[in-house]
Amino acid sequence: MHLYFWREAWRSFRAHRGLAVTSVLSLAALLTLSGIFLLLDHNARQALAAIGDRREMIVYLKDEVSDTQLALLMDKIRQYFGEPTYMDRKQAWEELQEQIGDPDLLSGVEDNPLPASIHVRLKPELLNYAAMEQAAKQVQEFPEVEDVRYGAEYVRRLDEFSAGMATAAWAAGAMAALAIVLVLYNTLRLTVVARRQQVEIMLRLGASDRFIATPYLMEALMHTTLAAGVALGLIFALQQALASRLSGLTFLPLPWALGFVGAAIAVAWVASAAALTRILRAIGS
Amino acid sequence: MIAFEHVTKRYGERLALDDVTWRMEEGECAVVLGHSAAGKTTLLRLITHETQPTSGVITVGTFRGGRLSRSHRALLRRTIGVIYEDFRLLADRTVFENVALALHISGQHTDADVVPKVLRALQEVGLEPHRDLLPAELSFGERQRCAIARAIVNRPALILADEPTGALEPKSAAEVLSLLLRIHHEGAALLLGTTRTEVANVIGGRRYLLEDGRLREGGPGSMPVSVAQGAGGL
Repeated sequence: MHLYFWREAWRSFRAHRGLAVTSVLSLAALLTLSGIFLLLDHNARQALAAIGDRREMIVYLKDEVSDTQLALLMDKIRQYFGEPTYMDRKQAWEELQEQIGDPDLLSGVEDNPLPASIHVRLKPELLNYAAMEQAAKQVQEFPEVEDVRYGAEYVRRLDEFSAGMATAAWAAGAMAALAIVLVLYNTLRLTVVARRQQVEIMLRLGASDRFIATPYLMEALMHTTLAAGVALGLIFALQQALASRLSGLTFLPLPWALGFVGAAIAVAWVASAAALTRILRAIGS
Repeated sequence: MIAFEHVTKRYGERLALDDVTWRMEEGECAVVLGHSAAGKTTLLRLITHETQPTSGVITVGTFRGGRLSRSHRALLRRTIGVIYEDFRLLADRTVFENVALALHISGQHTDADVVPKVLRALQEVGLEPHRDLLPAELSFGERQRCAIARAIVNRPALILADEPTGALEPKSAAEVLSLLLRIHHEGAALLLGTTRTEVANVIGGRRYLLEDGRLREGGPGSMPVSVAQGAGGL
Protein backbone atom coordinates (compact mmCIF):
# COMPACT_ATOMS: atom_id res chain seq x y z
CA MET A 1 0.00 0.00 0.00
CA HIS A 2 2.79 2.42 0.90
CA LEU A 3 4.52 1.54 -2.32
CA TYR A 4 1.34 2.50 -4.17
CA PHE A 5 1.29 5.95 -2.56
CA TRP A 6 4.96 6.61 -3.33
CA ARG A 7 4.45 5.46 -6.92
CA GLU A 8 1.46 7.77 -7.29
CA ALA A 9 3.31 10.70 -5.74
CA TRP A 10 6.23 10.17 -8.11
CA ARG A 11 3.85 9.79 -11.07
CA SER A 12 2.16 13.08 -10.23
CA PHE A 13 5.53 14.77 -9.66
CA ARG A 14 6.69 13.66 -13.11
CA ALA A 15 3.39 14.41 -14.80
CA HIS A 16 3.41 18.01 -13.51
CA ARG A 17 7.13 18.72 -13.80
CA GLY A 18 6.66 22.38 -14.69
CA LEU A 19 4.35 22.97 -11.76
CA ALA A 20 6.68 21.00 -9.47
CA VAL A 21 9.74 23.04 -10.50
CA THR A 22 7.81 26.32 -10.03
CA SER A 23 6.61 25.17 -6.64
CA VAL A 24 10.07 24.02 -5.50
CA LEU A 25 11.69 27.28 -6.65
CA SER A 26 9.01 29.44 -4.99
CA LEU A 27 9.31 27.51 -1.75
CA ALA A 28 13.10 27.60 -1.95
CA ALA A 29 13.03 31.40 -2.35
CA LEU A 30 10.73 31.77 0.67
CA LEU A 31 12.73 29.38 2.79
CA THR A 32 16.00 31.06 1.79
CA LEU A 33 14.67 34.44 2.93
CA SER A 34 13.49 33.11 6.26
CA GLY A 35 16.68 31.07 6.57
CA ILE A 36 18.77 34.24 6.16
CA PHE A 37 16.94 35.76 9.13
CA LEU A 38 17.58 32.56 11.03
CA LEU A 39 21.28 32.78 10.15
CA LEU A 40 21.39 36.42 11.32
CA ASP A 41 19.55 35.53 14.51
CA HIS A 42 21.93 32.65 15.18
CA ASN A 43 25.01 34.81 14.66
CA ALA A 44 23.52 37.69 16.67
CA ARG A 45 22.84 35.29 19.52
CA GLN A 46 26.40 34.06 19.35
CA ALA A 47 27.78 37.60 19.36
CA LEU A 48 25.46 38.64 22.19
CA ALA A 49 26.41 35.58 24.18
CA ALA A 50 30.07 36.52 23.79
CA ILE A 51 29.36 40.11 24.83
CA GLY A 52 27.01 38.94 27.57
CA ASP A 53 29.75 36.80 29.03
CA ARG A 54 31.74 39.96 29.58
CA ARG A 55 28.91 41.77 31.40
CA GLU A 56 29.79 42.43 34.97
CA MET A 57 28.56 44.36 37.95
CA ILE A 58 30.94 46.59 39.90
CA VAL A 59 30.23 46.98 43.59
CA TYR A 60 31.99 50.03 45.14
CA LEU A 61 32.72 49.63 48.83
CA LYS A 62 32.71 52.11 51.67
CA ASP A 63 36.16 53.00 53.01
CA GLU A 64 35.54 51.67 56.51
CA VAL A 65 34.77 48.03 55.47
CA SER A 66 36.82 45.60 57.54
CA ASP A 67 38.42 42.42 56.22
CA THR A 68 35.85 40.30 58.02
CA GLN A 69 32.94 42.30 56.55
CA LEU A 70 34.59 42.06 53.14
CA ALA A 71 34.92 38.29 53.40
CA LEU A 72 31.27 37.92 54.43
CA LEU A 73 30.13 40.19 51.62
CA MET A 74 32.19 38.23 49.08
CA ASP A 75 30.58 34.99 50.27
CA LYS A 76 27.07 36.41 49.92
CA ILE A 77 27.80 37.77 46.47
CA ARG A 78 29.30 34.44 45.39
CA GLN A 79 26.26 32.60 46.71
CA TYR A 80 23.56 34.73 45.12
CA PHE A 81 24.98 36.79 42.27
CA GLY A 82 28.16 35.45 40.73
CA GLU A 83 31.90 35.15 40.95
CA PRO A 84 33.43 38.14 42.83
CA THR A 85 36.92 39.57 42.32
CA TYR A 86 38.15 42.07 44.89
CA MET A 87 40.12 45.14 43.78
CA ASP A 88 41.54 47.28 46.57
CA ARG A 89 42.08 51.03 46.31
CA LYS A 90 45.73 50.67 45.33
CA GLN A 91 44.94 48.26 42.48
CA ALA A 92 42.16 50.58 41.28
CA TRP A 93 44.58 53.51 41.21
CA GLU A 94 47.20 51.50 39.31
CA GLU A 95 44.62 50.42 36.80
CA LEU A 96 43.48 54.00 36.28
CA GLN A 97 47.08 55.10 35.77
CA GLU A 98 47.57 52.32 33.28
CA GLN A 99 44.43 53.27 31.37
CA ILE A 100 45.32 56.96 31.22
CA GLY A 101 48.90 56.27 30.29
CA ASP A 102 50.24 59.82 30.85
CA PRO A 103 51.33 60.21 34.55
CA ASP A 104 51.33 64.04 34.23
CA LEU A 105 47.56 64.06 33.94
CA LEU A 106 47.24 62.57 37.44
CA SER A 107 50.08 64.49 39.02
CA GLY A 108 47.67 67.03 40.54
CA VAL A 109 45.77 64.35 42.42
CA GLU A 110 47.34 64.10 45.91
CA ASP A 111 45.39 61.25 47.56
CA ASN A 112 43.98 58.14 45.85
CA PRO A 113 40.27 59.05 45.52
CA LEU A 114 39.20 55.64 44.19
CA PRO A 115 37.20 53.27 46.38
CA ALA A 116 37.86 49.55 46.71
CA SER A 117 35.48 47.49 44.62
CA ILE A 118 34.25 44.01 43.87
CA HIS A 119 33.87 43.03 40.22
CA VAL A 120 31.12 40.43 39.92
CA ARG A 121 30.99 38.09 36.97
CA LEU A 122 27.25 37.42 37.06
CA LYS A 123 25.53 34.07 36.95
CA PRO A 124 24.09 33.27 33.48
CA GLU A 125 20.48 33.65 34.64
CA LEU A 126 21.23 37.24 35.71
CA LEU A 127 22.58 38.33 32.30
CA ASN A 128 19.61 40.44 31.30
CA TYR A 129 18.50 43.95 32.10
CA ALA A 130 15.64 43.15 34.48
CA ALA A 131 17.60 40.60 36.49
CA MET A 132 20.69 42.81 36.65
CA GLU A 133 18.63 45.77 37.85
CA GLN A 134 17.07 43.62 40.55
CA ALA A 135 20.46 42.22 41.57
CA ALA A 136 21.96 45.72 41.73
CA LYS A 137 19.16 46.88 44.05
CA GLN A 138 19.69 43.89 46.33
CA VAL A 139 23.47 44.38 46.48
CA GLN A 140 22.95 48.08 47.15
CA GLU A 141 21.10 47.10 50.34
CA PHE A 142 24.25 45.67 51.95
CA PRO A 143 25.63 48.20 54.49
CA GLU A 144 29.20 47.78 53.20
CA VAL A 145 28.22 48.94 49.71
CA GLU A 146 28.64 52.54 48.59
CA ASP A 147 27.37 52.18 45.03
CA VAL A 148 26.64 49.61 42.32
CA ARG A 149 27.25 50.08 38.59
CA TYR A 150 26.42 47.65 35.81
CA GLY A 151 26.00 49.74 32.64
CA ALA A 152 22.22 49.73 32.80
CA GLU A 153 21.60 51.57 29.55
CA TYR A 154 24.12 49.45 27.66
CA VAL A 155 22.63 46.24 28.99
CA ARG A 156 19.10 47.43 28.20
CA ARG A 157 20.00 48.23 24.61
CA LEU A 158 21.78 44.93 24.21
CA ASP A 159 18.69 43.09 25.45
CA GLU A 160 16.42 45.13 23.17
CA PHE A 161 18.62 44.34 20.19
CA SER A 162 18.62 40.68 21.08
CA ALA A 163 14.82 40.63 21.46
CA GLY A 164 14.44 42.57 18.19
CA MET A 165 16.53 40.01 16.30
CA ALA A 166 14.51 37.15 17.73
CA THR A 167 11.25 38.91 16.83
CA ALA A 168 12.50 39.54 13.30
CA ALA A 169 13.42 35.88 12.92
CA TRP A 170 9.99 34.79 14.21
CA ALA A 171 8.21 37.30 11.98
CA ALA A 172 10.19 36.12 8.96
CA GLY A 173 9.37 32.54 9.90
CA ALA A 174 5.66 33.32 10.26
CA MET A 175 5.57 35.15 6.93
CA ALA A 176 7.41 32.29 5.26
CA ALA A 177 4.92 29.84 6.80
CA LEU A 178 2.00 31.87 5.46
CA ALA A 179 3.58 32.09 2.03
CA ILE A 180 4.28 28.32 2.07
CA VAL A 181 0.58 27.75 2.80
CA LEU A 182 -0.41 29.90 -0.20
CA VAL A 183 2.13 28.35 -2.57
CA LEU A 184 1.19 24.79 -1.61
CA TYR A 185 -2.54 25.50 -1.68
CA ASN A 186 -2.32 26.84 -5.22
CA THR A 187 0.05 24.10 -6.39
CA LEU A 188 -2.19 21.39 -4.97
CA ARG A 189 -5.34 23.02 -6.32
CA LEU A 190 -3.84 23.15 -9.82
CA THR A 191 -2.55 19.56 -9.54
CA VAL A 192 -5.81 18.13 -8.26
CA VAL A 193 -7.98 20.13 -10.66
CA ALA A 194 -5.83 18.86 -13.54
CA ARG A 195 -6.70 15.34 -12.37
CA ARG A 196 -10.27 16.14 -11.41
CA GLN A 197 -11.75 13.44 -13.60
CA GLN A 198 -9.49 10.83 -12.01
CA VAL A 199 -10.37 12.04 -8.54
CA GLU A 200 -14.07 11.76 -9.37
CA ILE A 201 -13.60 8.21 -10.64
CA MET A 202 -11.71 7.28 -7.50
CA LEU A 203 -14.48 8.75 -5.33
CA ARG A 204 -17.01 6.64 -7.24
CA LEU A 205 -14.92 3.54 -6.63
CA GLY A 206 -15.10 4.21 -2.90
CA ALA A 207 -11.78 5.93 -2.31
CA SER A 208 -11.61 7.84 0.95
CA ASP A 209 -10.40 11.44 0.98
CA ARG A 210 -7.32 10.21 2.78
CA PHE A 211 -6.57 7.64 0.08
CA ILE A 212 -6.87 10.26 -2.66
CA ALA A 213 -5.02 12.96 -0.73
CA THR A 214 -2.03 10.90 0.48
CA PRO A 215 -0.05 10.89 -2.80
CA TYR A 216 -0.62 14.63 -3.23
CA LEU A 217 0.42 15.20 0.37
CA MET A 218 3.57 13.18 -0.22
CA GLU A 219 4.24 15.16 -3.38
CA ALA A 220 3.90 18.44 -1.46
CA LEU A 221 6.32 17.12 1.15
CA MET A 222 8.73 16.13 -1.62
CA HIS A 223 8.52 19.70 -2.98
CA THR A 224 9.13 21.17 0.47
CA THR A 225 12.01 18.87 1.34
CA LEU A 226 13.70 19.63 -1.96
CA ALA A 227 13.07 23.36 -1.48
CA ALA A 228 14.45 23.26 2.08
CA GLY A 229 17.56 21.49 0.78
CA VAL A 230 18.03 24.11 -1.94
CA ALA A 231 17.47 26.91 0.60
CA LEU A 232 20.03 25.46 3.01
CA GLY A 233 22.50 25.18 0.13
CA LEU A 234 21.95 28.83 -0.81
CA ILE A 235 22.27 29.99 2.80
CA PHE A 236 25.49 28.00 3.16
CA ALA A 237 26.87 29.58 -0.03
CA LEU A 238 25.92 33.02 1.30
CA GLN A 239 27.59 32.34 4.64
CA GLN A 240 30.75 31.13 2.89
CA ALA A 241 30.80 34.21 0.67
CA LEU A 242 30.39 36.59 3.62
CA ALA A 243 32.56 34.72 6.10
CA SER A 244 35.75 36.28 4.71
CA ARG A 245 34.33 39.80 5.23
CA LEU A 246 32.43 39.26 8.46
CA SER A 247 34.72 37.36 10.77
CA GLY A 248 32.92 35.05 13.12
CA LEU A 249 29.94 34.54 10.79
CA THR A 250 29.09 30.87 11.18
CA PHE A 251 26.61 28.57 9.45
CA LEU A 252 23.58 27.21 11.24
CA PRO A 253 24.46 24.43 13.68
CA LEU A 254 23.14 20.97 12.74
CA PRO A 255 20.19 21.05 15.19
CA TRP A 256 19.14 24.45 13.80
CA ALA A 257 19.42 23.24 10.20
CA LEU A 258 17.44 20.08 10.98
CA GLY A 259 14.89 22.15 12.88
CA PHE A 260 14.60 24.49 9.88
CA VAL A 261 13.89 21.59 7.49
CA GLY A 262 11.58 19.95 10.06
CA ALA A 263 9.60 23.14 10.59
CA ALA A 264 9.22 23.65 6.83
CA ILE A 265 7.98 20.06 6.42
CA ALA A 266 5.61 20.41 9.39
CA VAL A 267 4.11 23.62 7.97
CA ALA A 268 3.83 21.98 4.54
CA TRP A 269 2.14 18.93 6.06
CA VAL A 270 -0.51 20.95 7.89
CA ALA A 271 -1.03 23.34 4.96
CA SER A 272 -1.32 20.52 2.42
CA ALA A 273 -3.69 18.44 4.55
CA ALA A 274 -5.96 21.44 5.11
CA ALA A 275 -5.80 22.46 1.44
CA LEU A 276 -6.54 18.93 0.18
CA THR A 277 -9.51 18.53 2.52
CA ARG A 278 -10.93 21.76 1.18
CA ILE A 279 -10.18 20.95 -2.47
CA LEU A 280 -11.61 17.41 -2.32
CA ARG A 281 -14.79 18.61 -0.62
CA ALA A 282 -15.16 21.22 -3.36
CA ILE A 283 -14.89 18.48 -6.00
CA GLY A 284 -17.88 16.78 -4.38
CA SER A 285 -19.00 13.33 -3.46
CA MET B 1 -29.79 -6.25 -0.07
CA ILE B 2 -31.35 -3.13 -1.65
CA ALA B 3 -34.61 -1.61 -0.48
CA PHE B 4 -36.31 1.57 -1.70
CA GLU B 5 -39.14 2.78 0.52
CA HIS B 6 -41.32 5.48 -1.06
CA VAL B 7 -38.31 7.09 -2.72
CA THR B 8 -38.88 10.26 -4.69
CA LYS B 9 -36.17 12.15 -6.51
CA ARG B 10 -36.66 15.56 -8.10
CA TYR B 11 -34.22 17.68 -10.05
CA GLY B 12 -35.85 21.06 -9.65
CA GLU B 13 -39.24 20.75 -11.33
CA ARG B 14 -38.37 17.50 -13.08
CA LEU B 15 -39.51 14.30 -11.40
CA ALA B 16 -36.98 11.49 -11.91
CA LEU B 17 -38.40 8.95 -9.45
CA ASP B 18 -41.91 9.08 -8.03
CA ASP B 19 -42.65 7.25 -4.79
CA VAL B 20 -40.66 4.13 -5.73
CA THR B 21 -40.90 1.16 -3.37
CA TRP B 22 -38.82 -1.77 -4.46
CA ARG B 23 -36.56 -4.54 -3.14
CA MET B 24 -33.73 -6.58 -4.54
CA GLU B 25 -32.42 -9.64 -2.70
CA GLU B 26 -28.94 -11.09 -2.46
CA GLY B 27 -27.77 -12.95 -5.55
CA GLU B 28 -30.75 -11.70 -7.58
CA CYS B 29 -30.58 -10.45 -11.13
CA ALA B 30 -32.69 -7.50 -12.23
CA VAL B 31 -32.91 -5.30 -15.29
CA VAL B 32 -34.37 -1.80 -15.29
CA LEU B 33 -35.62 -0.83 -18.71
CA GLY B 34 -36.46 2.71 -19.63
CA HIS B 35 -35.99 5.26 -22.33
CA SER B 36 -33.16 7.76 -22.19
CA ALA B 37 -33.49 10.15 -19.20
CA ALA B 38 -36.16 7.92 -17.66
CA GLY B 39 -34.26 7.88 -14.35
CA LYS B 40 -32.26 4.64 -14.61
CA THR B 41 -28.95 6.34 -13.87
CA THR B 42 -30.58 8.28 -11.03
CA LEU B 43 -31.74 5.00 -9.53
CA LEU B 44 -28.22 3.57 -9.69
CA ARG B 45 -26.70 6.79 -8.33
CA LEU B 46 -29.10 6.70 -5.41
CA ILE B 47 -27.84 3.22 -4.57
CA THR B 48 -24.22 4.41 -4.56
CA HIS B 49 -25.17 7.60 -2.69
CA GLU B 50 -23.81 9.78 -5.48
CA THR B 51 -27.08 11.63 -5.10
CA GLN B 52 -29.64 11.84 -2.31
CA PRO B 53 -33.39 11.15 -2.52
CA THR B 54 -35.75 14.08 -2.18
CA SER B 55 -37.80 11.88 0.12
CA GLY B 56 -37.96 8.25 1.17
CA VAL B 57 -35.45 5.80 2.57
CA ILE B 58 -32.87 3.69 0.75
CA THR B 59 -31.14 0.71 2.35
CA VAL B 60 -28.11 -0.93 0.75
CA GLY B 61 -26.73 -3.81 2.78
CA THR B 62 -26.12 -2.45 6.25
CA PHE B 63 -26.20 1.18 5.09
CA ARG B 64 -29.66 2.55 5.75
CA GLY B 65 -31.17 5.85 4.64
CA GLY B 66 -30.28 9.41 5.47
CA ARG B 67 -27.30 11.33 4.26
CA LEU B 68 -24.21 9.19 4.84
CA SER B 69 -20.93 10.81 5.85
CA ARG B 70 -18.17 10.94 3.23
CA SER B 71 -16.34 8.08 4.90
CA HIS B 72 -19.48 5.91 5.03
CA ARG B 73 -20.28 6.68 1.40
CA ALA B 74 -16.76 5.53 0.53
CA LEU B 75 -17.23 2.35 2.56
CA LEU B 76 -20.56 1.64 0.84
CA ARG B 77 -19.10 2.09 -2.63
CA ARG B 78 -16.30 -0.35 -1.88
CA THR B 79 -18.91 -3.06 -1.40
CA ILE B 80 -20.38 -2.51 -4.86
CA GLY B 81 -18.90 -3.05 -8.31
CA VAL B 82 -20.09 -0.40 -10.76
CA ILE B 83 -19.84 -0.54 -14.55
CA TYR B 84 -20.50 2.61 -16.55
CA GLU B 85 -21.45 3.12 -20.18
CA ASP B 86 -18.36 5.31 -20.70
CA PHE B 87 -16.07 2.91 -18.77
CA ARG B 88 -14.60 5.58 -16.44
CA LEU B 89 -11.08 4.22 -16.70
CA LEU B 90 -8.03 6.26 -15.72
CA ALA B 91 -6.44 7.24 -19.00
CA ASP B 92 -2.84 7.37 -17.78
CA ARG B 93 -2.91 3.95 -16.08
CA THR B 94 -2.42 0.62 -17.70
CA VAL B 95 -5.13 -2.02 -17.72
CA PHE B 96 -3.39 -3.68 -14.79
CA GLU B 97 -3.17 -0.46 -12.80
CA ASN B 98 -6.82 0.41 -13.44
CA VAL B 99 -7.93 -2.91 -12.04
CA ALA B 100 -5.42 -2.78 -9.18
CA LEU B 101 -6.79 0.61 -8.18
CA ALA B 102 -9.97 -0.96 -6.83
CA LEU B 103 -7.90 -3.26 -4.63
CA HIS B 104 -5.74 -0.41 -3.37
CA ILE B 105 -8.86 1.62 -2.58
CA SER B 106 -10.33 -1.24 -0.56
CA GLY B 107 -7.29 -0.97 1.70
CA GLN B 108 -7.44 -4.68 2.50
CA HIS B 109 -4.60 -5.95 0.37
CA THR B 110 -0.85 -5.76 0.62
CA ASP B 111 1.15 -4.87 -2.48
CA ALA B 112 2.07 -8.55 -2.81
CA ASP B 113 -1.61 -9.62 -2.76
CA VAL B 114 -2.58 -7.24 -5.51
CA VAL B 115 -0.76 -8.87 -8.43
CA PRO B 116 -2.38 -12.37 -8.34
CA LYS B 117 -5.85 -10.95 -7.71
CA VAL B 118 -5.59 -8.52 -10.62
CA LEU B 119 -4.23 -11.19 -12.94
CA ARG B 120 -7.09 -13.50 -12.02
CA ALA B 121 -9.67 -10.78 -12.75
CA LEU B 122 -7.99 -9.99 -16.06
CA GLN B 123 -7.98 -13.68 -16.99
CA GLU B 124 -11.70 -13.86 -16.22
CA VAL B 125 -12.44 -11.07 -18.69
CA GLY B 126 -9.83 -12.25 -21.20
CA LEU B 127 -7.61 -9.20 -20.93
CA GLU B 128 -4.52 -10.70 -19.32
CA PRO B 129 -2.46 -10.35 -22.54
CA HIS B 130 -3.32 -6.62 -22.63
CA ARG B 131 -2.37 -5.93 -19.02
CA ASP B 132 0.31 -3.36 -19.90
CA LEU B 133 -1.71 -1.41 -22.44
CA LEU B 134 -3.32 1.95 -21.77
CA PRO B 135 -7.12 2.28 -22.18
CA ALA B 136 -6.62 4.35 -25.33
CA GLU B 137 -4.88 1.33 -26.91
CA LEU B 138 -7.92 -0.92 -26.35
CA SER B 139 -11.12 -1.33 -28.34
CA PHE B 140 -14.34 -0.15 -26.68
CA GLY B 141 -15.29 -3.72 -25.91
CA GLU B 142 -11.93 -4.34 -24.28
CA ARG B 143 -12.26 -1.13 -22.27
CA GLN B 144 -15.61 -2.30 -20.94
CA ARG B 145 -14.12 -5.66 -20.07
CA CYS B 146 -11.36 -3.82 -18.22
CA ALA B 147 -14.05 -1.87 -16.32
CA ILE B 148 -15.76 -5.17 -15.50
CA ALA B 149 -12.49 -6.61 -14.23
CA ARG B 150 -12.14 -3.57 -12.00
CA ALA B 151 -15.72 -4.01 -10.77
CA ILE B 152 -15.30 -7.69 -9.89
CA VAL B 153 -11.73 -7.76 -8.57
CA ASN B 154 -12.93 -7.15 -5.00
CA ARG B 155 -15.57 -9.89 -5.38
CA PRO B 156 -18.47 -7.59 -4.51
CA ALA B 157 -21.87 -9.04 -3.64
CA LEU B 158 -23.56 -6.50 -5.92
CA ILE B 159 -22.72 -5.36 -9.45
CA LEU B 160 -24.43 -2.28 -10.88
CA ALA B 161 -24.20 -1.84 -14.63
CA ASP B 162 -25.39 1.40 -16.20
CA GLU B 163 -25.99 0.78 -19.91
CA PRO B 164 -22.85 -1.36 -20.10
CA THR B 165 -23.24 -2.09 -23.79
CA GLY B 166 -24.28 1.40 -24.83
CA ALA B 167 -20.98 2.25 -26.49
CA LEU B 168 -20.27 -1.20 -27.92
CA GLU B 169 -20.82 -2.83 -31.28
CA PRO B 170 -22.97 -6.03 -31.18
CA LYS B 171 -20.18 -8.60 -30.89
CA SER B 172 -18.47 -6.82 -28.01
CA ALA B 173 -21.83 -6.18 -26.39
CA ALA B 174 -22.65 -9.89 -26.49
CA GLU B 175 -19.28 -10.72 -24.93
CA VAL B 176 -19.80 -8.17 -22.16
CA LEU B 177 -23.33 -9.43 -21.38
CA SER B 178 -22.09 -13.00 -21.40
CA LEU B 179 -19.40 -11.99 -18.94
CA LEU B 180 -21.91 -10.23 -16.68
CA LEU B 181 -24.17 -13.28 -16.69
CA ARG B 182 -21.26 -15.50 -15.77
CA ILE B 183 -20.36 -13.22 -12.85
CA HIS B 184 -24.00 -13.30 -11.72
CA HIS B 185 -24.13 -17.06 -11.94
CA GLU B 186 -21.06 -17.19 -9.71
CA GLY B 187 -23.12 -15.52 -6.98
CA ALA B 188 -23.09 -11.75 -7.37
CA ALA B 189 -26.36 -9.86 -7.53
CA LEU B 190 -26.66 -7.92 -10.79
CA LEU B 191 -28.69 -4.79 -11.41
CA LEU B 192 -28.48 -3.51 -14.94
CA GLY B 193 -30.02 -0.38 -16.40
CA THR B 194 -30.62 -0.24 -20.15
CA THR B 195 -32.74 1.30 -22.87
CA ARG B 196 -32.57 -1.90 -24.96
CA THR B 197 -35.09 -4.69 -24.67
CA GLU B 198 -32.65 -7.07 -26.37
CA VAL B 199 -30.17 -6.57 -23.53
CA ALA B 200 -32.90 -7.29 -20.99
CA ASN B 201 -33.81 -10.42 -22.93
CA VAL B 202 -30.23 -11.66 -22.79
CA ILE B 203 -29.78 -10.97 -19.10
CA GLY B 204 -33.11 -12.38 -17.99
CA GLY B 205 -33.93 -12.14 -14.28
CA ARG B 206 -36.57 -9.78 -12.92
CA ARG B 207 -37.50 -7.02 -15.29
CA TYR B 208 -38.69 -3.55 -14.39
CA LEU B 209 -39.92 -0.72 -16.54
CA LEU B 210 -39.10 2.80 -15.42
CA GLU B 211 -41.48 5.30 -16.95
CA ASP B 212 -42.65 8.72 -15.78
CA GLY B 213 -40.71 8.21 -12.58
CA ARG B 214 -42.65 5.02 -11.74
CA LEU B 215 -41.00 1.61 -11.49
CA ARG B 216 -43.20 -1.31 -12.61
CA GLU B 217 -42.31 -4.98 -12.68
CA GLY B 218 -42.55 -6.59 -16.10
CA GLY B 219 -42.15 -4.76 -19.38
CA PRO B 220 -41.93 -5.27 -23.09
CA GLY B 221 -40.32 -8.34 -24.67
CA SER B 222 -40.13 -10.43 -21.56
CA MET B 223 -39.03 -13.61 -23.30
CA PRO B 224 -35.35 -14.32 -22.48
CA VAL B 225 -33.18 -15.33 -25.39
CA SER B 226 -29.73 -16.86 -25.33
CA VAL B 227 -26.64 -14.74 -25.53
CA ALA B 228 -25.75 -16.25 -28.87
CA GLN B 229 -29.15 -15.52 -30.28
CA GLY B 230 -29.22 -12.00 -28.92
CA ALA B 231 -25.75 -11.04 -30.02
CA GLY B 232 -26.77 -9.77 -33.39
CA GLY B 233 -29.36 -7.37 -32.10
CA LEU B 234 -27.36 -5.73 -29.30
